[in-house]
Parts: sequence; structure tokens; C-alpha cells
Amino acid sequence: MNGSEPGAISAGPSRASLLSAWKLSKSYMTGGKVTPVIGELSLTLEPGEIVSVVGPSGCGKTTLLNVLCGLLAPDGGEVRWRGARLAGQPSDVGYMLQKDLLFPWRSALANTTLGLEIRKVPRAAAESRARALLDQLGLHGFADFYPSTLSGGMRQRVALARTLVNDPAILLLDEPFAALDFQTKLLIESDTAKLVRNTGRAVLLITHDIEEAVSLADRVIVLTARPTRVKAVYDISLGEDRTDMIAAREHPRFADYVRRIWSDLEVSRS
Amino acid sequence: MNSNPIASADAGQILDRKPPAPRSRRVYNIFLTQIAVLALLLAVWEFFTHGNKLATFLFASPSTIGGFLGKMALDGSLWTDMYTTGLETVLGFVVGNCIGTLIGLSFWYSRFVSAVVQPFIVALGSIPTIALAPIVIIWFGTGLASKIAMSTLSVVVVAIVTSYKGALGVDPDQINLMRTLGARKFQIFRKLVVPASLTDIFAGLKMTVGFALVGAIIGEFMSSSDGLGHAIFKAGSLYIIPKVFAALVATIALALVLTFVVGKVERILTPWRSID
Repeated sequence: MNGSEPGAISAGPSRASLLSAWKLSKSYMTGGKVTPVIGELSLTLEPGEIVSVVGPSGCGKTTLLNVLCGLLAPDGGEVRWRGARLAGQPSDVGYMLQKDLLFPWRSALANTTLGLEIRKVPRAAAESRARALLDQLGLHGFADFYPSTLSGGMRQRVALARTLVNDPAILLLDEPFAALDFQTKLLIESDTAKLVRNTGRAVLLITHDIEEAVSLADRVIVLTARPTRVKAVYDISLGEDRTDMIAAREHPRFADYVRRIWSDLEVSRS
Repeated sequence: MNSNPIASADAGQILDRKPPAPRSRRVYNIFLTQIAVLALLLAVWEFFTHGNKLATFLFASPSTIGGFLGKMALDGSLWTDMYTTGLETVLGFVVGNCIGTLIGLSFWYSRFVSAVVQPFIVALGSIPTIALAPIVIIWFGTGLASKIAMSTLSVVVVAIVTSYKGALGVDPDQINLMRTLGARKFQIFRKLVVPASLTDIFAGLKMTVGFALVGAIIGEFMSSSDGLGHAIFKAGSLYIIPKVFAALVATIALALVLTFVVGKVERILTPWRSID
């Protein structure tokens, strides 16, 4: 195996990282039986870094994400944001799922300003920021449309705008592009990479799509089956420009990364 | 960043689809057929009762009912009765739905409270409203208040159940999203739970228009000096059957008007749904 060993990631709870998880564990009770989902999992996310997490289906990736952003409390271990132990909801995290979760009673614009409204940003300022972002995401002229009148790709772009408008330091993305057709997916991935890399945000992308994981990320973390832990970590180097998903997929090393990660997942399925 | 080819291609498709003409023609055809069916029923009714004194006495006939409607409209009793019953119904409808919706939505705040209260709601819902009428008359008197109370009682349990169902139906992922955006519980309630419940609340409102009207009329049956229920009860006691039917027609007209108004209000308050 060419990836580094799990133990090498961190010797203890990291204080410097933007986000670090140390020996996390989490179990569910189902019908009086304890099902361990996460077992002693550690990872870190540095400022400006894009990290993909891949794992066999049902390995608890979503549970991991919910623990990292404070929606679920871990049974053991700890999560640190900028070195401080997580208590409640971190304020500068953006959270995006496969479902766009747009509110049907709000226009694209009003969906985008949701987070700013919650933080009581004055309406005029919030709307001009949201409009600028919607324009950047190719939704010029659609600000006043209700979600029900937009296509899947456009809806997911609005969801991305809703996430980015709050200026989060970290984006936690749970298969946000999985429901999109291939062409739309590549375009949104490229747009996301541009917006994220130009502003130095960090991203933790959970996905089952190995090609997506490799083409977007600086680092790919491979998880084992349940109770999930880190199986391998790959540093991805695919040249200088990492905002063009087609170029990334055409890079000579791309296929090699994909093959190695695929074989890791094959093994952990058994 | 460049404008996006996918986004604009999608936009073209969305704006072009659905030519509206066939749909409105279909609606028009349905309406015409409904009028024809109604006319046929009235004609058959008139045919079998015409010139037959006993049949006309027992079953009335469209022409005698029409005669009574005209007479009641001219002497003004039709309008005062419709106004009285309409006022009772609207007030009972509004009070019952406000109370019920507030209670139903507030259950979202506390699973514990809602679990404690649930069996009491079921018990209250299983009481036929008519069984409460004598007590309501004693407590609220024979005037407007007792009719509003009857109407409110007919509405409130349905309003509680439908609004609570709506509040429970909110997508937990949307609640998580609100939490990650830093929303406090009240913000989640106001910006997500309340608007998300509107679909169920309006379904309840449409259902309870009829219940509110039934409640008001039961109240008038028990004790009253005017209103459509009073007119029906009095005409029935005197065996003036066409007048009973005339008051029934007025009751149906009132129900249709109120349902129409609720539908209009729904379209105004939930504009995102009329796009479909």
C-alpha cells in the first residue's frame, strides 16, 4: 500500500489544524443491540485544503460528518475546531447534502440569504451578496424563481450559493453532486473548486465517487467498513491548476490513484 | 466566471414547457358538464313532483323551492339568516383554527408535552360536537357566543391534528441545515416549521369550513331566533318542506362561498405552490 498508515496522521489531538478529530467513536442502539458505526477514527483538515473521504457504502460517512459539525455528539474521542474543543454548533461551517434542502416557499435569492438572515445581517447587504454569488454560479436572472421551477443542477447551485454566502472557513459536503447528471456534475465541481480555492476555504467532501474524490481533492482518506476507521490516506498531486475537472481527469496519474483507491475499497468490502 | 451553458440550457426548457390552452379548455368542459348534470337532476325532480300535491308536499320541487328563495330574498330574511350563520361560522372557524393551529404547532416545541396531551386530544376529538350543545348553551347563553363556541369546538381538534402533523413532517435534514446555519429553536420554528406546515394547515382549513358551518347550525337548532339553522328547524316543525330546502340551498351557497374564499387565501399565502 502506498498510502500512509493511519497512525501516522497525528500523534495526538492537533491544536494547529482548522479541524481535527481524535479517536472518534460512535455507536447506535438498534433494537437493544449496539451497532458500532465509527471506531477510533482520527483525521485533520488544514486551512485551504480539500480532503475527500471515501468508503464502502453504509460505512458511516454521514454519521462522521454529523459528528464533525456538532449535530451528533461522539461517544468517545473529540473534535477540535481551530484547536478548541467543539461545543454545540461551530459558527463558520457550511453544510451541504445530496438533497438541496431548498425551502420551496422561498425564492432562489431568499434561500441564499437564509444564513445571513439568521445572523441578522441587514437585508440589503445580504441580498447584494447573494445576488453576486448567484451570478457567479451562472444563475443570473433566476434570483426570484421558486425552487420548483428550477432544474436539479440549478437547485444544487442555489444550495451551494446558500452555503458559500455565509463565508464559511470549512465546507462539509456530503455527496452534494451525486444526484446530478455527469456533465452538470463536472461543471458544478469545477465551479466549486474555483470558488473554494480562490478564497482559501477548506473542504471535507464525503463521496462514494472515487473519480470525484481524486479530481477535486488534495488528499483522499479511505475508510474501512463499519466500525469505520481510516484505512489509507493518499496525497493527490495532479499538477498546478486544480480547478478544471476535465484536465484533472486527463492527468497521467489520475487513473493510477483511482485504481489504488478502488482496490483499497474492494478489500474492505469483504 | 463564464456564464454557464448547462444552467441557461435548462432555463430555456423550463420557460418553454406547458402550453396552457388545453388545460383551461378541459376545466371549461368539466364545468359545462356539471351544469348539465345539475339541470338534469332538477328537471327530473320537477317532472315527478309537478301537479302531484302529495309529492310536492313531501319532496318539494325546484319551482316551489325557487319560489320560497325569491320570497325570502324579498322580505330580507334570506340575507339576515345567511349573514347570521355566516358570521357565526366565520368567527368559529377563525377562533377554532387559530387556537388549534397554535396548539398543534406548539407541540413541535416539546415532544414530552405533546406525548402527555395526545390522549386527551383523541378523547376530545371522539366526542360528537352535538353532545356538547346543551352544555354550551347553558355556559354561553342563547345568543351569538354559543354558536361561535359550537363552531369552534367542531373545528379545533382537526386544526390541532393537521397542524401538528405538518410540524412533525418537516424534513430533519432541513432542521439540521438550520442548526448548522446557527439558528436558534425559535428561528427554526418561525422560518422553517411554520411555513413548512402551511400545506397541511390549509388542507385542514378546507376541511374545517364545513365543520364550522355544521357547528353553527347545530347551535342554531338547539336555541336561536335567527340564522339558517333556525329557518330550517322552524320550517321543518311547520312541515313547510320547500322552505327547508330553500334554506338548505342558502346553506350550500354559503359553504361554497367560504370554501372559495379559503382557496383564494391559500393561493395568496402560498404562491410557490400554484406554480406546481
